[in-house]
Amino acid sequence: MHKEIADYLNSVVSGAEAKALEAEVGDSSVLVASEHILKVCQALKDSDEHQYNVLQTISGVDYPEGVGEDKTPVIEVNYMIASFTKNTEIILKVRVPRGDDENLPKVDSVCSVWTAADWQERECYDLVGVEFVNHPDHRRILNPYDWKGHPLRKDYKAQEVYQGMTVYPEDKQNIPEQDFIVEQNKLNDEAKAAAKKAREEAKKDN
Amino acid sequence: MDSTENSGNGNGQNKYGGEKLKSELLTVNMGPQHPATHGVLRVEIKTDSEVVSEAIPHIGYLHRCFEKHCENIDYRGNLPFCDRMDYLAAMHMELGYCLAIEKMIGTEIPRRAEYIRVIITELQRIASHLLFTGVYAIDLGAFTPFLYCFDQREKILRLFEEISGARLLYNYIWIGGVWNDIKDGQLARIKEFCESFPAELDKYMNLVGQNKIFVERTANIGIMNAEMCYNYGATGPVLRGAGVDWDLRKKRPYSIYEELDFDVPVGTGEKGTLGDCWDRFAVRQQEMRESLKIIKQCLDGIEEGPIMGKVPKVLKLPKGEIYMRTECARGELGYHIVSDGGKVPYRVKAKSSSFTHTSMLPEVAPGLLIADFVAVIGSIDIVLGEVDR
Repeated sequence: MHKEIADYLNSVVSGAEAKALEAEVGDSSVLVASEHILKVCQALKDSDEHQYNVLQTISGVDYPEGVGEDKTPVIEVNYMIASFTKNTEIILKVRVPRGDDENLPKVDSVCSVWTAADWQERECYDLVGVEFVNHPDHRRILNPYDWKGHPLRKDYKAQEVYQGMTVYPEDKQNIPEQDFIVEQNKLNDEAKAAAKKAREEAKKDN
Repeated sequence: MDSTENSGNGNGQNKYGGEKLKSELLTVNMGPQHPATHGVLRVEIKTDSEVVSEAIPHIGYLHRCFEKHCENIDYRGNLPFCDRMDYLAAMHMELGYCLAIEKMIGTEIPRRAEYIRVIITELQRIASHLLFTGVYAIDLGAFTPFLYCFDQREKILRLFEEISGARLLYNYIWIGGVWNDIKDGQLARIKEFCESFPAELDKYMNLVGQNKIFVERTANIGIMNAEMCYNYGATGPVLRGAGVDWDLRKKRPYSIYEELDFDVPVGTGEKGTLGDCWDRFAVRQQEMRESLKIIKQCLDGIEEGPIMGKVPKVLKLPKGEIYMRTECARGELGYHIVSDGGKVPYRVKAKSSSFTHTSMLPEVAPGLLIADFVAVIGSIDIVLGEVDR
């Protein structure tokens, strides 16, 4: 099924470079070139054969180490698209260079195809840091409007001060080096060692 | 509005004359602490007298970084966090997450666990819709139905408390099965509930649904037609209220729904236009009846046996990704789980239906009265925990 969709996209959109990624476990997907995403989505929605009329969600995934063999840092934007008339669903992927906070990766907005993309793209921008070109209302959505950084990036560090408040103060941090956790772990280890010893002795006796 | 149109004495000489009166849009912040918004939703409304001309929802007041948490905790440890998304239908949140992971590791679920899961989630659907019915009536000014609904909901919550140990956030459905077995006495109580409940449903329909004031307040208000629902990606009772026969339990069956016999109620536009607030209310009422049907079949078919399948102690997902959709009380819930082969998920993304439905508010709001806008917010039955995650 993914192969057919990739073939269809290649025949309709020139330069789409659609490629079916067949997975052994889990879901397969179709990878397309990021600069043609708008045309690809329009083609999927308009085609009588596929009729992908619903955009379910947009899920950005950060790969600072690259995907598979390719080691270039990328951000993958997954479009979960479903057809409620044909009862099918597909994951459509684009990969864009990761960039940094000043220079966010850019993808064309698909708001003109499905209105659902409006909020989904805002969320993707807010949390993963992908800029959607030609978006009608490009703002943060879940975080405060003046928040800095994009939390779901793997190298994200929260800003130290936000509006005069300390973010994540030291005495609230739940880190493994904290005293009571160290103590708890020590007690656990001792208990485990004692239990193991007892078991071994029991075995010897038998 | 052109102020010269309604000038006081024709030539506008009077101090109350038209040119002195100003008419401009007033900005009203509805929320974040407003009882009619079902949580911490802030809607910035631009009004001209009582008529809404623009509504802008501001969300994120309940954002708890669910997705970020998931990237740091192992697969089993994430389950309680799923509960806290939609805290009124927590069982559904767990079920979707567990199904996605079970599909990845290919675990077989024992039959008894499957039956228990379906019984529990359908009971949860009833509990959630009961809360909707009561709270929606309060939104529109009727207090009594709330008490009736909560009386019945209490029965379900008591049962859940006995089975799982908690009233709202259960952590009951586990990867591979369920945590605790249901005893025969509890099954008998569920059966008793199934027999007594239809009479209650009739009561709600007579007391609320057919009430003249209620019909006036909801029929022809906040129309979301099928075209618009597709465009915004709306699902669940909102989509079915628009007359679309779409239910994942039927269309893409998961668990044992394939073997069960039930109907999918859709909106008919009985009191007004297809896809108005009344239709969404009516669809939920009928859905409760269908849930009862499902529960009865499960009670007849439930088998003896184990309640947990074989799941490795250290749970590692194979490298890959999955997108799993389930039908929740409020619409479709989708989990996109990406694994890099390790003990913790590489990325978990939850697609929540409340989020999608909230995004439809700006489209339906223009032209509504403020009080009617409250009726629309109530009718899509959002839970802010799920919107903000």
